[in-house]
Amino acid sequence: MLTLISLEFRKLLGSRSVRLAAVLCLLLPWIWPLAPRLKEIYKLIIVSGWQVPTLALETVAPFLLPLLVALTCAEMIGTEIAQGTLAPLILRPVNRSRVILAKLITALLYPAILLTILFFGSLIAGARFGFGDFTGGTGIGPGLFVGVGELSSGAAFAEVARAYLLAALSLMPIAALAVLFAVIYLSTAAAALATLATINIMTLLVVFPEALQKILITTYLDLYTRQGDIGQPIILMIIYTIGFSVMAVFAFEKRDL
Amino acid sequence: MRGLKKKYRDQVILEEVSLQVKPGEVYALTGPNGAGKTTLIRCMTGLAFPSGGEIKLMGLDIHHDGPRARANLGAVVEAPAKFYPQFSGSQNLQMHAQLAAMAPGSKKISRDRVREVLALLELTRMADRPVGEYSLGQRQRLGVAAAILAEPRVLILDEPTSGLDPLGIGLIHRIVTDLATGGCAVILSTHHLREIATYAHTVGILTGGRMADTVDLRARQANYRFRVDDEVGAAAVLSALPFVRKATSRKPYAIAHIGGETRVPDALAALSQGGIRVFEASPDHFDLYEYYRERVEQH
Repeated sequence: MLTLISLEFRKLLGSRSVRLAAVLCLLLPWIWPLAPRLKEIYKLIIVSGWQVPTLALETVAPFLLPLLVALTCAEMIGTEIAQGTLAPLILRPVNRSRVILAKLITALLYPAILLTILFFGSLIAGARFGFGDFTGGTGIGPGLFVGVGELSSGAAFAEVARAYLLAALSLMPIAALAVLFAVIYLSTAAAALATLATINIMTLLVVFPEALQKILITTYLDLYTRQGDIGQPIILMIIYTIGFSVMAVFAFEKRDL
Repeated sequence: MRGLKKKYRDQVILEEVSLQVKPGEVYALTGPNGAGKTTLIRCMTGLAFPSGGEIKLMGLDIHHDGPRARANLGAVVEAPAKFYPQFSGSQNLQMHAQLAAMAPGSKKISRDRVREVLALLELTRMADRPVGEYSLGQRQRLGVAAAILAEPRVLILDEPTSGLDPLGIGLIHRIVTDLATGGCAVILSTHHLREIATYAHTVGILTGGRMADTVDLRARQANYRFRVDDEVGAAAVLSALPFVRKATSRKPYAIAHIGGETRVPDALAALSQGGIRVFEASPDHFDLYEYYRERVEQH
């Protein structure tokens, strides 16, 4: 299994879309420290390097990250079909379920990889503001960027790390959904489109009863901003991820390739 | 393979296809475009699921016991063979080696074996170059290298000589023949009938999703023809010989299935004793192309 997972990671890291996504995640955080009208538009003055990761995350989390994750995860099967490289893989004495599980594990870890790059890119971009204790907030904790007094660097790191972990978790169902659609359509474009369309339609369901809202993955795309009890949304994200993954495994087991 | 059926919705692609290939046999699958050859190969290798019938490799069901059955299999199912273009030929084969070693009870495939197959397919010079830079023929040869990497007992190749130059075609013929001599069962699909007639043992003609005919080339190639002054009388003399399975006349020849060239002097002696004058004796080459044309036109 480790052989298959390492193979999937090699392919993932070698793909052009992942390299482009990595470059975007490295460069995007530089917008905020360099933006001359930040105060004018957002009434914000960056006082600590810990605020840059939050700004970067809030910029990419609602649209760009789901897009990058959906596209790359769809590509994990779609490109192999287009290149004709999936068949030689299946011809080897390996269970189909292992092949798709290796792809799913890689896909589920992909949001975390992108967010790690974004995090380190943000730290580099925010380095000139320093990472010591400061008066204000990270933008995620109580009082948002204004904060509630002095914030230690340890507490700031914990807030930012929590936000990044929750963001990675909220993107996992999208990754699994993209793989499921890729198994169904065997095409990158169709699978990515279906995933993004599903997310958009779920977002539009805001006009439906609140009980429905509570079970939609799109309701929790901003999970990283939430305080208090987040147990239920986390369980829901995990259920969605497992559900989509199991469906992808079953669909792949009997799929003509 | 017995009673194989494959349907896509209402469209029947394969119907009651049966075939058996023994160790050491080279089985060539041919037929017009759209006859179902690729679907048949995809079903045979476990890539596609049949709507009916069963497929066994070395006694193991390819669909229900996939990993164990495929442990014996080497295959190229597309022409040219497909690889990860960003990785070198050597890296691609190394990946295949790692995956092949995942079979239950399989042993690890060494780097030396990877180098050996690359050398065998005359790809040593290109081994460390990305596959994206390979020509069509080089990719095809790399495909055969990947297929024989784990020393399979069943080799399935779809259009193995597609895109190859004459030397490359000769190389693939040699490799296929050597593997078959070593006991490997080889199934290949091809349109190059005159080419495969020289080394295939059996030819299956697939038309409209049905196996229209199976030709045993070994039996056909054991025929000898004798140009004589009385072909009907010669055929009668030859028929009486114990080692002749069948003798017919085709003006100005008498054709006899005599089992091999060692029997030719005995046949000549018998004809001479029967008062038949013989002007020429030679193998009666079976024209697979003509035969194929007739069979396909009948369907």
